[in-house]
Amino acid sequence: MTRPFILSASLAEAAFAVPQSAAPILQAAEAAGLDLLMMGRSGARPFDAQVLLAWAAPITTRLGLVATVPASNAHPFHVARALSAIDFLSAGRTGWSVIPEGSPDGMAEDMVGAARALWDGWGSDTLILDKARGRYLDASKVRASNYEGPFFKVAGPLNAMRPPLGHPLLVVDGDDPIDVADADIGLIGADGAAPAATRRLAKVSLDADVAALSNRFAAGEIDGVHFTLTDALAQLPEIGTRFGSLVADRIDATGDLRARLGLPIPQTASNQPGGAVVPENA
Amino acid sequence: MMDKQIHLWAFLQGIGFFPSGWMHERARPEGVFSMDYYARVAKLAEQGMFDAIVFGDQLQSRGAGGRTPERMAMPTLDPVSLLTAMAAVTKHVGLVATVSTSYNTPEMLAERFGAMERISGGRAGWNIVTTAHPATAPNFGDNDLPPKDERYRRAKEVVAKACELWAAMDREGPMLPQGRPVLVQAGQSADGRDFAARTAEAIFCPAANIDAGIDFRSDLRARVAVVGRDPDGVRIMPGLSCVLGGSEEEARASHAAILDLADDALAIEYLSESLGCDLTPFDPQGEIPVTTILEHTILPKADIARAVTPAHEKRTPLGAFAANFMRHPRGHNVFLGTPEQMADMMISWRDAGACDGFTLQPSYMPGGLEDFVEQVVPILQQRGRLRTEYPGTTLRETLGLPAREAVAA
Ligand SMILES: Cc1cc2nc3c(=O)[nH]c(=O)nc-3n(C[C@H](O)[C@H](O)[C@H](O)COP(=O)(O)O)c2cc1C
Repeated sequence: MTRPFILSASLAEAAFAVPQSAAPILQAAEAAGLDLLMMGRSGARPFDAQVLLAWAAPITTRLGLVATVPASNAHPFHVARALSAIDFLSAGRTGWSVIPEGSPDGMAEDMVGAARALWDGWGSDTLILDKARGRYLDASKVRASNYEGPFFKVAGPLNAMRPPLGHPLLVVDGDDPIDVADADIGLIGADGAAPAATRRLAKVSLDADVAALSNRFAAGEIDGVHFTLTDALAQLPEIGTRFGSLVADRIDATGDLRARLGLPIPQTASNQPGGAVVPENA
Repeated sequence: MMDKQIHLWAFLQGIGFFPSGWMHERARPEGVFSMDYYARVAKLAEQGMFDAIVFGDQLQSRGAGGRTPERMAMPTLDPVSLLTAMAAVTKHVGLVATVSTSYNTPEMLAERFGAMERISGGRAGWNIVTTAHPATAPNFGDNDLPPKDERYRRAKEVVAKACELWAAMDREGPMLPQGRPVLVQAGQSADGRDFAARTAEAIFCPAANIDAGIDFRSDLRARVAVVGRDPDGVRIMPGLSCVLGGSEEEARASHAAILDLADDALAIEYLSESLGCDLTPFDPQGEIPVTTILEHTILPKADIARAVTPAHEKRTPLGAFAANFMRHPRGHNVFLGTPEQMADMMISWRDAGACDGFTLQPSYMPGGLEDFVEQVVPILQQRGRLRTEYPGTTLRETLGLPAREAVAA
C-alpha cells in the first residue's frame, strides 16, 4: 500500500474521565479523521488510560486507541491482559505507550519485553472452537514465556489471547523516550531526535503550515503529525478542518490498525507473523 | 414498598457454568472475543433488571502440570476491560470486576476502579479476592503464594489504602458518583468470612440447598452485627445455575444432554485442573493414580486426598471418576425444572432468609441467560418480587444502599 499520512493526538484532560465529556470528544476525534488518540501523556495522566480505552472501544469505529501506561505503577501481566481484551473489543485498534517517568532506568523497556513475550506465548492460530469434535484450542500453540528481565519475572502463559494486532501498536515519545529498537510509531522530540520506529510523527501545533508538512511527508522526512491537545473539544474540529485533507484519501479505509497504517509487526518483536484469528463457529 | 425483593446478579465469566457448555448449540464460543457479544449480553442483563454483571477472574492460565487443556473454554479476557466496555452501551446495570489484592498495589486498584467508577457514572463494584491458586505466583516473580492468613491481612491493608485513595480522588474531582466502588467478597474460611463481614456490601457464596443458604446468611449477618455494621446493609447472593424446560422431565433431559456433550477427555482435563496434576497421560479405564496425584499436585494435599481417596478405595476407574466429578456442581445449586418452579424456588429461598437474591451462573452463554430473562424474569415481576425499572443510576441505589458511601478516612 502507499505510505499513509498519519494524524495523531494526545489528550490528558481530567474532564475526559466522565462520560458527558468523553463521548463528544471521541466523536470529534473520529470526525476529524484522527488515526490515533493517545490518552494521557508524560507528566499528565489524570485518569487510568487503559480503562478509558475499553470504554471508548464500542463507541468508536475507526479511531486508534492508545493507552499511556506508567512503568512505575503497572505490571506486565495485567497490562498484557487488558490490552489483549481491548484489542478484541475494538477489533484491532489498540496501541500503548509506556511512560518511563518516575520509574527506575530500564523498567519501561522491561515492561515492553515482558508483555511482548506474553503475547507471543499464544500462536495466531491457537483457537479451533470445533463444537462437534469438542476441540476448543490447539495446546501445542500455547507456551510459557518464562520471561526474566531486570524488574519483571513472568512465567506465563498469559490467560488472555494473543491480540488481533499480534502486538498493539507501540508508540514511543521522543520527549520521554524508552530504549526499544523497534517501536511502531515514534513521536519526534523537541530536540528533533526521532525514536527508532517504523513511522515517525512530527509534533506540531494547530497553526502548523499544512503545505510544508505535506512536503516533508513527500520527502520521507516524516510519516505524519501529532498534536498535544489542551482543549480537545474545541481543537479537534479545527484539526479536521485544517489537516483533514492529508488523510482524506483513507477516511473510508477499513481493517485493523496495522492493515490501515501499513504496519507489520516488527520481526524482532514477535515470533508470530500476525495477529490472533478467531475461527467462525460451525 | 417491594418487600422481599429478589436481587439478581449475572456471573458471566467464560461460556457458561458447565465445562461442556461451550459445545451447546446455543453457545457462542467465538462471541467472547467480540464486542457484539458483550453489548448483547449487557443489554440482556439490563432488560432482566439485574443489579449487576460480575466477571470472575484468575491470574493464571488454565491447565495442570504445564499442560494447557484443549477441550475447556479459555482464556478469559480482563474483566475490568470487558465491564467498562459494557458500561459504554448500558445505563443502569452494575459492573463488578474481580481483582486480586495479592497481586496489585493499592495505587493500581484505586486508579483502575476510580476510572471505572467515573466513566460508568457510578456503577462500579469490586469483587475482592486474595487469589488462591499456586500457579499465579510465578506470573508475578514469586515461587509460592503467601499463606491464607497473610493474604487476608494484606487484603485488609490494601482495601483500607485504596479507600483512602478514592476519598482523595473524590475530593480532587471529578467526583466518584458512589464515593467509591461497591465492595463485594466471597470468603468461606474463618479468615475469609471475617474479612467479608468487616468489608463487603455484597457477598457471593455457594449454597447447594436452602438450608445451606440459611446457615451461611445467618452466620454472615451475625458476624456483620458483631463488627458493628448493619446486617441489612449487606446483600448475600448465593450462586445459582439452571436448566429450564416446559416440564421437569424436559429440563432433566436437557441437563443430561449438556453433560453428555462432554467426553472422557474433557472430564479428565477438568479433573486435572481441579486436582492440580496432569492426568491426561493415564488410562481412563485404569485405577485413579493416587500416589502420583499426591506427589505432584500443587494444591493443598489434604484437600486433594479427601477428594480422591473414597473413589480410589471403591476401585472406580479414572475415567468414570472424572465424568462423575465434572457432573458435580461445585457446591452450587443447579435448578432443573419449569420457569414457574424456578420462580417458586427463588421466592421460597428469599422468604426463608436463605439469601437476598441470586448470582445466576447460566449453564451456557448466551442461551442460558436468554432463557432466564425471557422465561423467569417476567414471572418474578408479576409476583412483585423483581423490579420493573431501576430505582436510580448508581449500583448502590440499585442495591438499595445509600446512594453515596460516606467515605470515612
Ligand atoms: C461464587 C463465587 C465466585 C468466586 N469467584 C472467584 C474468582 O473469580 N476469582 C478468585 O480468585 N476467587 C473466586 N472465588 C473464591 C473466593 O474469593 C474465596 O477465596 C473462596 O470462596 C474461598 O474462601 P476463603 O478465601 O475464605 O478460603 C469465588 C467464590 C465464590 C463462592
